[in-house]
Amino acid sequence: MTVATDSVSPRASGLSSRREEWRASIRMNHLLWVVCALGPVLALFSIIRVYPILETIRLSFYRYHPTQRTKPFIGFDNYIRLLEDDAFRTALINTLQFCVLAVVITLTLAFTIALLLRSIERASPIYEILLYIPVVTPWVPASVIWKWIFDPQHGILNYWLGFLGIPKLAWLQDEHIILYAIVLVSVWKMLGYFVVVYGVGLRNIPDDLMEAAELDGATPWQRLIYIVIPMMKPIILFTVIIATIIFFNVFAPVYVLTASAQGAPAYDFKVVIGEIYQNAFVFYRMGYAGAQSVVLLLFVLTLVFVQFFFLRDKRGV
Amino acid sequence: MFKERPIVITAYIVCTIFALLAVMPFFWVLMTALKTNPEINAWPPQLFPHQPTLEHFYQILGKENFLRYIFNSLVIALSSMTAILFTSSLAGFIFAKYKFPFRGVLFAIILATAIIPLEVYVIPLYLMVFGVRMMNSYFALVFPFVIMTFGVFFMRQVIMSIPDELLEAARVDGANEFWIYVRVVLALSKSGLMALGVFAFSEAWANFIWPLVVVTTKDMYTTELGLATYQRQFYIEYGPISAGAVISILPMLIVFTLLRRHIMKGIATTGLRG
Repeated sequence: MTVATDSVSPRASGLSSRREEWRASIRMNHLLWVVCALGPVLALFSIIRVYPILETIRLSFYRYHPTQRTKPFIGFDNYIRLLEDDAFRTALINTLQFCVLAVVITLTLAFTIALLLRSIERASPIYEILLYIPVVTPWVPASVIWKWIFDPQHGILNYWLGFLGIPKLAWLQDEHIILYAIVLVSVWKMLGYFVVVYGVGLRNIPDDLMEAAELDGATPWQRLIYIVIPMMKPIILFTVIIATIIFFNVFAPVYVLTASAQGAPAYDFKVVIGEIYQNAFVFYRMGYAGAQSVVLLLFVLTLVFVQFFFLRDKRGV
Repeated sequence: MFKERPIVITAYIVCTIFALLAVMPFFWVLMTALKTNPEINAWPPQLFPHQPTLEHFYQILGKENFLRYIFNSLVIALSSMTAILFTSSLAGFIFAKYKFPFRGVLFAIILATAIIPLEVYVIPLYLMVFGVRMMNSYFALVFPFVIMTFGVFFMRQVIMSIPDELLEAARVDGANEFWIYVRVVLALSKSGLMALGVFAFSEAWANFIWPLVVVTTKDMYTTELGLATYQRQFYIEYGPISAGAVISILPMLIVFTLLRRHIMKGIATTGLRG
């Protein structure tokens, strides 16, 4: 993103010096106004965003328990402990697995649907709105709805799968299936957003380009591979980054879906945010949870740099 | 884009299937909420309730105190929305229309925090609220949501499209900068404010981890937290839970249906997430 360099400060004109003076006084006035208006907002940003982010990094080098008097500096000990923490390793592997599956399935489906919607452009708004309803639904009620659908005894999903001859599955109780259950909820929830984003990109591809290719005898498949996908590359990259960050932060659906229901204990599916939450707010090991947060921070920053690198590379060529 | 007949037919079929899959769970939860308990547990499941009843809604709103949770959520979401609209439009205006030292650097710092999710720095935020002894209060619940990085960026884009001549004309008429902000800038960016407002409202309404962390008593629960906690009880019934889910989704659905054009336009111009 570039910062625009436009300006509203009056251009110097060849008028009298008195007028110049008047303008200069206004400019000073503006500076005062800028400071008064922007100052409080920037202060809030420093307190609510910048300071906490830096403080997380600092905490990760301390043994920090909020009610204990001594909070000793312990260097990289938290990070070394992190390497030996089986729960965190499981959480990291689970989250990565979940994230890859959810990103790939969501984006592939979204791209396909957005592409197909361009063939039925007149009807597309209604489809986009229907697909967008799960996006505006908060994660908690969305997960609650699905929990009922997944119910092993009375759930409608098992009922329908019964018609296909599939025996009742313990969606949330089986450690191998629960991953797919959470993926299913997440894909359902986020699909519409990416359909709309891809729709915006696809509408921006010039029609004459596609028509010219058609006149030259290009099959739909060739048009897709040689025109549509190359032109959509920046948007695809953007959506991969956004989707990865959204799905890597999965927590509410896991919190809801892994709670035992009706005496059937759900499998305790560990994810990174869940581990941070547990360590920080259940066990009050805030320094240690800080180190886990820094891992998350580094992951997000890496993604951003990857995006930056690719976009820059593209511009350079 | 692709006008071949087989593709058009496939498009209708595939898109209809996915649209149905998208809304089917809502239909199912609404039906569950309206059924009596024996009907909910019936096997095979019945699609429609034979004797529709509102008893689950009475139970969740009355006995389980969801009215209070909804009230809390509304207070938080509305305060957050108001604060974000104010801070974003003000900062967006300054960044869009004034030249001052360090403008680029300051804007870059603000933007850099956009991509970092709240979950990363939730611990220091908690410690700050803990430190000023404001746990379990509306202040604590709203506090991280009075600014929105994306909002500043979004409003800057919106306000940049307002012609400089209009601001100059107001200045020549003797208006001061604050007056210009209120009467010219805010008045001319209504559509953008609406889209951002919906977004800010739903962000604050839907947030889960923050209330989970700072709320300690039931009377400060938000709707999300109340629903998540309620369904974690040892013995749960799906009737009241479904009713709770319906209630929790309803405000979002109403806002979205009323303002869908603004929202869709917001996504189209800036990748606004809702």
